[in-house]
Parts: sequence; C-alpha cells; structure tokens
Amino acid sequence: MYVGPFETTESCDEWKREYDLAFPVVPDADGALFRRLTSGWVPWSILVAPDGEVVFSENEFDEAGFGAAISQLLAKQTGVAPTATESTQRTPAARRASKAATVVILGGGVGGIVAAHNLRASLGEEHRIFVIDRSPDHLFQSSLLWLMVGDRREHQIRRPLERLTRRGIEFVHDEVVEIDLERRLVRTRARTLDFDYLIVALGARTVPESIEGFGEMAHDLYSLEGSRGIKNALDAFTGGKVGVLVTSMPFKCPAAPYEAAFLVESFLRAKGVRDRSEIHVYTPEHQPMPVAPAALGASIVEMLSARGIQYHPLFTFQKMRPETREIVAADGHAEKVDLLIAVPPHQAPEVVRSSGLLGVSGWIPVDPGTLRTEHEGVFAIGDVSTVRLPSGKSLPKAGVFAHNQAVVVARQIADEIRGRRDGARFDGGGYCWIELGDGRAGFAGGNFYHDPEPRLRVARPGRAWHWGKVAFEKWWLRRWF
Amino acid sequence: MKVLDESGKGVAAGSKLDLASLGLPVAGRRGTLVVFWKRQ
Repeated sequence: MYVGPFETTESCDEWKREYDLAFPVVPDADGALFRRLTSGWVPWSILVAPDGEVVFSENEFDEAGFGAAISQLLAKQTGVAPTATESTQRTPAARRASKAATVVILGGGVGGIVAAHNLRASLGEEHRIFVIDRSPDHLFQSSLLWLMVGDRREHQIRRPLERLTRRGIEFVHDEVVEIDLERRLVRTRARTLDFDYLIVALGARTVPESIEGFGEMAHDLYSLEGSRGIKNALDAFTGGKVGVLVTSMPFKCPAAPYEAAFLVESFLRAKGVRDRSEIHVYTPEHQPMPVAPAALGASIVEMLSARGIQYHPLFTFQKMRPETREIVAADGHAEKVDLLIAVPPHQAPEVVRSSGLLGVSGWIPVDPGTLRTEHEGVFAIGDVSTVRLPSGKSLPKAGVFAHNQAVVVARQIADEIRGRRDGARFDGGGYCWIELGDGRAGFAGGNFYHDPEPRLRVARPGRAWHWGKVAFEKWWLRRWF
Repeated sequence: MKVLDESGKGVAAGSKLDLASLGLPVAGRRGTLVVFWKRQ
C-alpha cells in the first residue's frame, strides 16, 4: 500500500484513480505515521511479516537488499532456506549497497566539493559523506590571477570548508597519510576512516622546492603566497624585464601562464611603466594550450604579439641562477629577468604516490568515462588523475574537468548505493576563460574526447567573457558555501 | 526526497508493528509492504 503523508482521503482516491493503482492508497493526514515510522524521507518502504515483524525498513533501497528481505520473509513462512546469501552470491557492490554506505572524499578542491554536494543531495542521511583536507579553507584557485594584480583580496576567494557541515557533509581537517586499498581505509594523522567508496580528488601538488633557487628568485604563480609576492613585486616594479616561466609539463590550468602575462601587461600599462618594461613567456610547449587545436594556440600567440609580449616556445627549463637572476635552458641558453613569475613542477601528492594507485605517467589512470580506477569503488578525478585522449595527449588539468567528473562520479556512486544503473559517463566536455587584461577575456569550450582531436568552439574575445568569468566565480563561491 | 526535518530514524528492521492498530489495512497473507510516498 501507499501511505500519503499530509494527504486526505479525497486526494488519495484521486491519486489512485489518476495512476490506476491496484493497491490501497491510505491518507496520513496529520503526518503522525510518517513521523513515527520514517526518517522524514520518501519513498520509505516497510515490509511487515504476517506476525508483525518488520523485515525491511529503508529509504530508497537497493533492489538486491530488498530481494534478500523478501527471500528471508518467504523462507520464514515455508521453512526453506533462501538460495541467495549476501556473502556468497552478491557482488561487492551489492554488499556495499545493502547498508548505510560511507563515501570518503580526499580533497576539498573543486572536484571534492562538487562530488560531496551531489552525493549529499542524492543519498539519505544514513549514508555518510566525508571530505578530508589538510587546509581549513577552500581556495578558488583561478582567482589567484586577479589577486596577483590587486583585483581581489584573499578573503574574497577562500571559504571555510567547515561550512560543508551545514549541508550534512562531514569535514575532517587533517592530512591524509595513508590510503590502504586492501583494507579499504584511509588514515589521517588523527583518525582512521573505513570507506565503501573512495574519491581521490587531491589535485596536483606543486613542488617549487624541487628547483634550487626558486624561493630566492621566483614567485609561484599557483600559490596564495606566490600571488601575494607577485602583487608586492608589481607594486614596487618601476621597469625592467618580467619573465613568465613554465618549468615543466604537465601543469594545471593550461591558460594560466598566458593569462598572467596578459594581466601583467595590462597592469604595467595602467601603472605607466609599460614603456620601460619587457614581458616574456618561456615555455616547453610548442604552442599555447597544446592539447587544443592549433588555431587556438595561434590566436593566443597573435594576441601576445599584439600586446608586445615576447613568446619563447620550446624553452626547456633546466635551472635558475639567483645570483645573476638568470633562467637557463637545457641547451645552455640563459635569460636574465628582473621579475620572475614561475609555474613550478607538478606531481601527485605523496600519499597517492605511496598508495599503489599511480600509473607510469605519475598520475592515477582512470577509465575516461567512469573515472574508476582499477580498484573497485575507488575513483580519481581532477588533476590527480590522467586520461589519455584519442590524440595520444592527456586531458588537461583544469577545474572544469574536475567539476564535470565529480558530477558523474557522484551519480554513479549514488546509483550503485540505491541499486540503480543509469550509466553516467563523463563525455570530455570542458571550457575555459582566458583573461586578456583591460577587463576583457576570451572563451573556448567543447568536447575534448572528440576523435581525432578536441573539437572546440572559440569565441571572439570581449568584455562579456570577462564578466562571465566574474559571474562564474561569484556563483561558485555562493553555490557550494 | 526529504519531506520532514523533525522525524526520527525510522522504524527498525526486527521490531514489531501492529498495522491494524495504526489504522492501516493488512492485505497480504504473506506480508504487507507499506510505502510512504508523495504524489508526484
């Protein structure tokens, strides 16, 4: 039977007629039964044996668990043991689905936040969702570029992860020190958490310390501290040579070094010192954003040139010489710079490197559609994962992919817990704003899984795209926090 | 779908329920399935 909380006899009769229901539909006009027998969620199913014993009571159950309950009920009446048991005939996935599940998400960045919220919205309260991060705050990283030129202050682009608890997500402010895939648990410095599902969304760690002299000579484009340093250096800058250096590949947000160059150019012009300054971009790439079609890279080179920014592709960085303020390429060529903004080397976090999850690439290989690793119930999304594209290149590391992948992974996990299969798959969709300075931006987006190379639509740069990026930032920080 | 915030944990499997005393029909000889649901 259906029991309709806050329904009347008349509305239940109408409900039964409208859907041609062959079973009783009973009103629970004041919601008293609903309050007493459920946790406040619908649908809530209760299977009661003839002797009054409750054999099943759950919100949005999985089919396997409900099937087992019916088998048990019938076996009790006939005296015949059920033929299927949880331990021998159900898959591990179905076993996980038969009880309240624990989903542990490593990382409170873009992927982790989106996955946690989507899971929370899909699953009942009996299922626990943890987010673990060593930082107390979520930092909206793409806005570091604006912080660097004084268009943002720190408090505008960070939010306390503790706020996740308002949405029913458990936040653990701690560092993950071990991922034990065999025993399916995660250790932090202070506690151990078992998981039914694990989402690794730890991102890419930048390791400027791996370059001798980095701290003395360069400002890290990818850290809060580095952005503060760039801002102070730009404020004090009276002219000279600015270098934007990509030290190695891969790096996250492929447009970021170019955006940095455009924003610095605009900043120095507004400050009145552009005519006394040179701006250079040094990169090992053969073109900007090399995963994208060549036309997009060519248009960025054209825009760099139009602003008098000198572009040095195929610059294979080798070392820094702080004493002479030089950067040196592998071929021995040295360039002296007065102000150096650098993209440090990236690598998977140490705890991932020691987990057994890494592939030969140094990142976690995943199925391109499902983001599953080779370990059951373990997913990896965003910068820490790697996906090989039809072109043979890797999917760029960017927040938009972490976001879209998180939605897909959350759906798969929620469906599996609820015993459904809808086959959610990540389709390679992504987009990117490219800040050009002077309140203008470009935009490109499309399908990165398109064979033989990503198919992207490149929009004409303009003010609208800049404001689109600003609006997205505001939406993001309000939506999740 | 969450309908009420102030509800408890729900009746537990293994406990006893007298459906008739709750005003609910007892239709099945082998057992009764009660589904709390909202009209869509």
